Amino acid sequence: MAELEAGKSPSASAQDIPVSAQLLAVAWLRWRIFINSTFRRRTTGTRQAAGLALVILVRIIVWPFLAMMVIGPVGGSGFFAWMAIAENHPQRLAPLLAAITLLWLFVSVNGQNVAAVVSNFDPSSLTRFPLRFGRYLVLRTLIGVLTPSTIVGCLALLAAAVGIGVAKPALALPALVVLAIYALMNIFLMRMIGAWLERWLVNRRFREIFGALMALTVVGFQFLNFQRAPSHGLGGRNSWVLNILHSSGSQLRWLPPGFAANAILHASHPVAAVAQLTGLLANTALFAAVFAIRLRKQFLGEYLSEGASQRANERSSQRNPARTQQAGAVAKSASTENARPAFPPIVAACLRKEWLTLRGNGMQLIGMLTPLFFVVILNRSVFQEHSTYLLPGAIAYVLFGVLAGLYNIFGADGLGVQVYLLTPVRLRDVIVAKNLMSLAVIVAEAGMAWVLVSMLARTPISFATQVSTGLWTIFVIGANLALGTMRSIQAPRRFVPGQTQRRRSTPTNRTSGLLIMLVLFGSMALQFPVTLLCRYFDNPWLGAWIFGPLAFAAVAAYALLLHNADRFILAHRDVFAEELCKT
Amino acid sequence: MTTPAIDTAALTRRFGDFTAVQDVNLRVDAGQFFGFLGPNGAGKSTTIKMLTGLLAPTSGTIRILGEDLKQNSAELKRQIGVVPEGMALFGRLTAEEYLRFVGRMYGLDRATTIQRTQELLEFMQLADERKKLITDFSHGMQKKLAMAAAVIHGPRVLFLDEPFEGVDAVAAGTLKAMLQRMIARGATVFLTSHVLEIVERLCTHVAIIHRGQLVAQGSLEELRAGQANADGASPSGGKQRSLEEIFLEIVGTDREGNPAATAPEQELSWLS
Repeated sequence: MAELEAGKSPSASAQDIPVSAQLLAVAWLRWRIFINSTFRRRTTGTRQAAGLALVILVRIIVWPFLAMMVIGPVGGSGFFAWMAIAENHPQRLAPLLAAITLLWLFVSVNGQNVAAVVSNFDPSSLTRFPLRFGRYLVLRTLIGVLTPSTIVGCLALLAAAVGIGVAKPALALPALVVLAIYALMNIFLMRMIGAWLERWLVNRRFREIFGALMALTVVGFQFLNFQRAPSHGLGGRNSWVLNILHSSGSQLRWLPPGFAANAILHASHPVAAVAQLTGLLANTALFAAVFAIRLRKQFLGEYLSEGASQRANERSSQRNPARTQQAGAVAKSASTENARPAFPPIVAACLRKEWLTLRGNGMQLIGMLTPLFFVVILNRSVFQEHSTYLLPGAIAYVLFGVLAGLYNIFGADGLGVQVYLLTPVRLRDVIVAKNLMSLAVIVAEAGMAWVLVSMLARTPISFATQVSTGLWTIFVIGANLALGTMRSIQAPRRFVPGQTQRRRSTPTNRTSGLLIMLVLFGSMALQFPVTLLCRYFDNPWLGAWIFGPLAFAAVAAYALLLHNADRFILAHRDVFAEELCKT
Repeated sequence: MTTPAIDTAALTRRFGDFTAVQDVNLRVDAGQFFGFLGPNGAGKSTTIKMLTGLLAPTSGTIRILGEDLKQNSAELKRQIGVVPEGMALFGRLTAEEYLRFVGRMYGLDRATTIQRTQELLEFMQLADERKKLITDFSHGMQKKLAMAAAVIHGPRVLFLDEPFEGVDAVAAGTLKAMLQRMIARGATVFLTSHVLEIVERLCTHVAIIHRGQLVAQGSLEELRAGQANADGASPSGGKQRSLEEIFLEIVGTDREGNPAATAPEQELSWLS
């Protein structure tokens, strides 16, 4: 400790910290976080080996898919760029570049979730170190360079440059230079969007609006795809995608993709090329400046939280006696309600808590409504001619999202779960309340999907199919409730609804995660062979005979689990404390 | 007159309609062990965030070691060390990796960083946990690591937000010894704490913030004698009291000066 003498450190005497030192420090930090997140495990011995084997297995399965997701757009960009030049369709180059920017944006928005989970790194925390704003800006810009979106986007642009070069070698060098600037423009554009989104997403209302817009965009694309090209693939001659490619060229003229495309195409006319390049550079500078404005506010000590205004509201309500009286009246009416309870008091209290949590989470509500739009789309497309599959298909689709929530019913409670363990309540009542709320949501969604399908089906759905689907639904819900509750007790995992950052999963969690997928998919997919059997034996009631006993068995299993829930939870108190209660 | 280590003038921070800190005039001389007290939500953390440059003041000025924080933020950040409210640790690193990163960010050369990292890990009794990720550390271990990171560059002013919260007695003793040694070598320590006994034992000077406003400031002796007011002026007279008595007397009143807490026997009569 001898050297830690105040005011005499080497850092204090140095004139300025070299930029390379801080850049290397951040690069090293990112590298260590990546290595530790990828290879370091909490457990040891046999469990570690099993966990590692499972991780390797999952990666063998998942990575080829990820690689395809990268190779597809990259190869496609190269091919389309080559085709645009070789087949003499230069007007297609600008839409192609616009499409790459959209792809970049899509990966960027979706990749943030992955990045947050993997890195657990908040770059704004760098403001506490001795940095000037210019260096902070450089660091923040460079930190974002090694993200999946930048890698995919840059590779796609490189492929496009290669495609152009192969089609017309004289354009190879201009294409490479212009697309490098275009890549820089995209980097700043994505950073700008990311930084401002981060600012606005602090507001819960904006988060909900943004969530609704994202859901609407996804649904809109699907709807457009089925509406505009029900029988043609994207590559078909009459594809709406190609129509957009043809018609959007002139509209993109004054936007960065247009500037970049024209700068390449007019490479043989220096004045025109420089004018187009200036337009592209001006846009790049604009995006960089808007990004810098946001970062500067952050650097100077901006406070992004709804907490302060909420606190102010709370204070004003404390000072407002009228509100206090109102609150008293509400409390009184609540106590009157409690005089004739529909449920036992513990179940009623937990149900109310679950309802308040659900009501306050707009994103979750939006997420629940989205599948219903897809049911309408499914009805107008793939299942249009197959009404036998329409009802079970729609119900399966709607259930898939909501059933997943049954497998971690205590996760959102976090530290609050201790209340259940410390208060004199039967934990079975808590589980019943949580499952009742989930059941209400599931039944409401499935019910709405059922009504939608019945209204939209071209041919009436037979009574036998309806009974079979009903029994299958009970079986699926019962089985998932039983297994979900068991898993919620055995391997709970803390999470904050609406937030992307989650705690790192353990090998147990990952193993049971795979089992969940198997059970979920398995119970859903069972409908398909049974429907085929019904058709093979020409007996529409066969499904009911198969699913009837299964539904009974699933409900019985759930009842049995509930009966033993208290004992089961007490046996797993350690897991609760470790996963949910650790601060 | 010596240059104060920390000097604020009319420091104010508003969040919309809510004023968290209002017209705070703090003066902390170099070499002081300064305790910043206040009840929950009084504005302690907001003040410390402003003093360390993590939060911009709405109005007012902050001078650290005689320099304006707004004008010389980068230079001053090299002279100060901070244990912020959330500790700002990177959970996916080991303690050693984290300290090496922080050292490099403060501009220490590689050899010094490695040497100090080893010394700090030994001193904080974290050396045996080299392979453990920070996310798997206990709260107390994380606190010790945050403290190690705050001092690795040898700061002249150290800001600590609740440094002893969740730290066991042995570790607290280690931290106190380190802080007192820093004071002996001329550093200034500014800490917030709810534990009045710790403040009374460690600090030479104290300020109390209540509802965003500074209500008392001075040396412990001045406060005990009932002599220190918000501006640090020291009239004579008054009997000696404990810090807890002084604190309760000052913050235990509402805006009109009436006792804020209701007499226990008047409320919660159902309690056995």
